Amino acid sequence: MNSGRNGTRLRPCGQAHTAQAQEAPSASRRFAKRHAVFALSLLTLAGCSSIKAPVPTDPDALEDYKQANDPYEPLNRKIYGVMMKADKWALRPVAKAYVWAVPHPVRNAFGNMILTMNEPSAFFNDVGAGKPRRAGDAFVRWCINMSVGVGGLIDVAKMAGYPHQDNDAGLTLANWGIPSGPYLFLPMGPSSIRDGIGYGIDQGLSPWNYVPRGYGLVSFNWAYNMLGVVHGRSEHLDELDALQRDALDPYATIRSAYQQQRKAHAEAIKNDHRATVPLWYHVKNRQQG
Amino acid sequence: MTFFSGRRLFLGSLALLCAGSLAAAPARAAQNTHQFIESFGKQLVAIVNSPVPLSEKKEKVLPLIQKNVDIDAIGRYCLGRYWKTATPQQQKEYLGLFNQILVSAITDKLGDYRGVSFTIGAITKSGDDDSVEATLLRPQQPPASMQWIVSSASGTDKVVDVIGEGASLRLTQRQDYSAYIARNGGNVDALIKALKHQIEHHSASAQ
Repeated sequence: MNSGRNGTRLRPCGQAHTAQAQEAPSASRRFAKRHAVFALSLLTLAGCSSIKAPVPTDPDALEDYKQANDPYEPLNRKIYGVMMKADKWALRPVAKAYVWAVPHPVRNAFGNMILTMNEPSAFFNDVGAGKPRRAGDAFVRWCINMSVGVGGLIDVAKMAGYPHQDNDAGLTLANWGIPSGPYLFLPMGPSSIRDGIGYGIDQGLSPWNYVPRGYGLVSFNWAYNMLGVVHGRSEHLDELDALQRDALDPYATIRSAYQQQRKAHAEAIKNDHRATVPLWYHVKNRQQG
Repeated sequence: MTFFSGRRLFLGSLALLCAGSLAAAPARAAQNTHQFIESFGKQLVAIVNSPVPLSEKKEKVLPLIQKNVDIDAIGRYCLGRYWKTATPQQQKEYLGLFNQILVSAITDKLGDYRGVSFTIGAITKSGDDDSVEATLLRPQQPPASMQWIVSSASGTDKVVDVIGEGASLRLTQRQDYSAYIARNGGNVDALIKALKHQIEHHSASAQ
């Protein structure tokens, strides 16, 4: 679930909101209703018990409480429980069926396409984080893969020495020095206040949420987003099964792994000081100078 | 003049010697850590790649792990704040169970790999311990980079943690155990019971 963000980040509900709201009043009403239902169910859940966990008084327990950074644990655990049920009965079986029905090379091609189509968002975030080399790589990946790579299905850019580097707005905000805020378990997976806001920004940065109606583009967008969710889940089938089996408290294990990985990822981007121009350019200049 | 220059030479060489030995001390430590991980890794990879049956691999790898991994230290770390509150009897029982679980977690992975190799990268300080960058190369799979945390607190170099994709295995395990104990009334016996159940379940599924 942690690193399944690629797929889960591109869930259909957020994008439908922006793409269809202005042009289809009936659709917008439907989505407004759905959001209202969602908000209401969250409130009901919240009403069932307290949202916030009591702050422990024992110094050692307080230390653990601070390290977990999860003051809304009761609410988070409820959402986690609901999402894990949905996963068990819906998403996981669908992802297993997808793995069973679709041959590996085809799934690979879909994975490439999903990565490539996420490059614009990665590009804007790289620019926002002030990392020109990463931004350039994302831009080149987009150009190469969308043309030579047949709409992103073949990762030609990787073969040419431009592997994908993940970035999202949550990480960009982290690079700006904004703390993560409390941990949250959202319907799209483990998150935090900062990463949740980042998720919203990413929806705005993805050009796929601005596709015009007609030409089947909206249908394509829906199919693409749903594929993203199923594909993202299918890549973590064994890992999540193992986690559910081996962890005594899977919720706490996911929380810990997610927080550590996000921190390390933000750190890695921050420490990426690679030069913007390729090495041969420097060599050539030195020879001439 | 000659006296001065001689003294200067003497002082200069003394300073150089001091600086040299100062610089050499951490370098030597890093060298030792490098050698330790290289030899441990080579032996591990040799067993993984050998064409013997899985049961034989498990037998061979056991003494290697017990010699090079500080399982008791990892176990103590994973119990977190409850280590202090546990009775000596509970501590002993827990460490025994933890030992079994850790070893079987490693040996379970042995059958998954074949034809692996690894490279060792930079060695940096991580608190009191050394952190060794290593990349595992598996055929037809992307290289997996990880960090091995090596501690010499026990007198000899031993692995105390592995960090993969930014997540420390022992820290994740500690937060799993802590959350479980906290949700079971802060009782270490609940954890011991759960670990026993895990081992039973594991041996039942292995048969």
